[in-house]
Amino acid sequence: MDIGRCWKFNDDEQPPYPTIEVTLSSADYKVTISPKVDTGFNGSFAIDKETVKRLRLAPVGTILVKTATGHSEVSVYVVDVTQQDLAITQKTLAIGTERSLVGRKLLESTTWLLDCKKGRFCIMTDLS
Amino acid sequence: MRPFIEVVRRFRWKPFGTTDLVEKLGYATGYARNFLSQATRQHLLITGPKKRKREKTFMVNPSVIKKIVLKGGKEKEELLEALGLRSKYLGEYVALKGFEVVDHDLNLYRLGERIFSDEEGQDEIVITNVSLPKKIITIEI
Repeated sequence: MDIGRCWKFNDDEQPPYPTIEVTLSSADYKVTISPKVDTGFNGSFAIDKETVKRLRLAPVGTILVKTATGHSEVSVYVVDVTQQDLAITQKTLAIGTERSLVGRKLLESTTWLLDCKKGRFCIMTDLS
Repeated sequence: MRPFIEVVRRFRWKPFGTTDLVEKLGYATGYARNFLSQATRQHLLITGPKKRKREKTFMVNPSVIKKIVLKGGKEKEELLEALGLRSKYLGEYVALKGFEVVDHDLNLYRLGERIFSDEEGQDEIVITNVSLPKKIITIEI
């Protein structure tokens, strides 16, 4: 195994948290953001209000989700997610939350290194 | 909203008139007329085909279903119950087009892939859970 592309932890909060860069697009707009990696999120993508506005997304539904404090009803959006290092280009459902998050569904096909010592989150590549 | 939900439960997409509200829901004639007039102004109801001479009929506006689902909360829950979805799709995610369930799945993302892979007809479709999803999305933070 070798270390591939890495993303630095974001240290605007303590403790710093892992992020990866993704490009989101709607019919007419595109934004590139670095959301927090949330391994406790079993979905693919959560999108914050500001990004929803920038992409001019309209909700396609509402669903109940489970949070640390209980259940909450959130909006659902359709968004195109692109992450070149993960070879991901897909249309997916994104849930509306306070902050953007990348969930396990987007991470599950890759081996990752969570390097807290060096403050980086990396793709592990298989050389065999 | 309460009489509107009762109308959805009783008539769904079928046309009805003042007499039906009086006879089948037990409303007083004046109350039924006021409700019809107000609900039509609010676009909850649309004009239906004429049943008998002089009697106007009304139908639930199918586009209201999406609006209520997107608003969420108690009204959404009451609407889904009135549409009879709880008994059939309990714990699932459903895709609704007006009154019609066009698809359903225990897995939100599988449902989304099927529904939104096609660009056409997306605007009318709304996705939601029916009661507590068996495969609920969890977020730690």
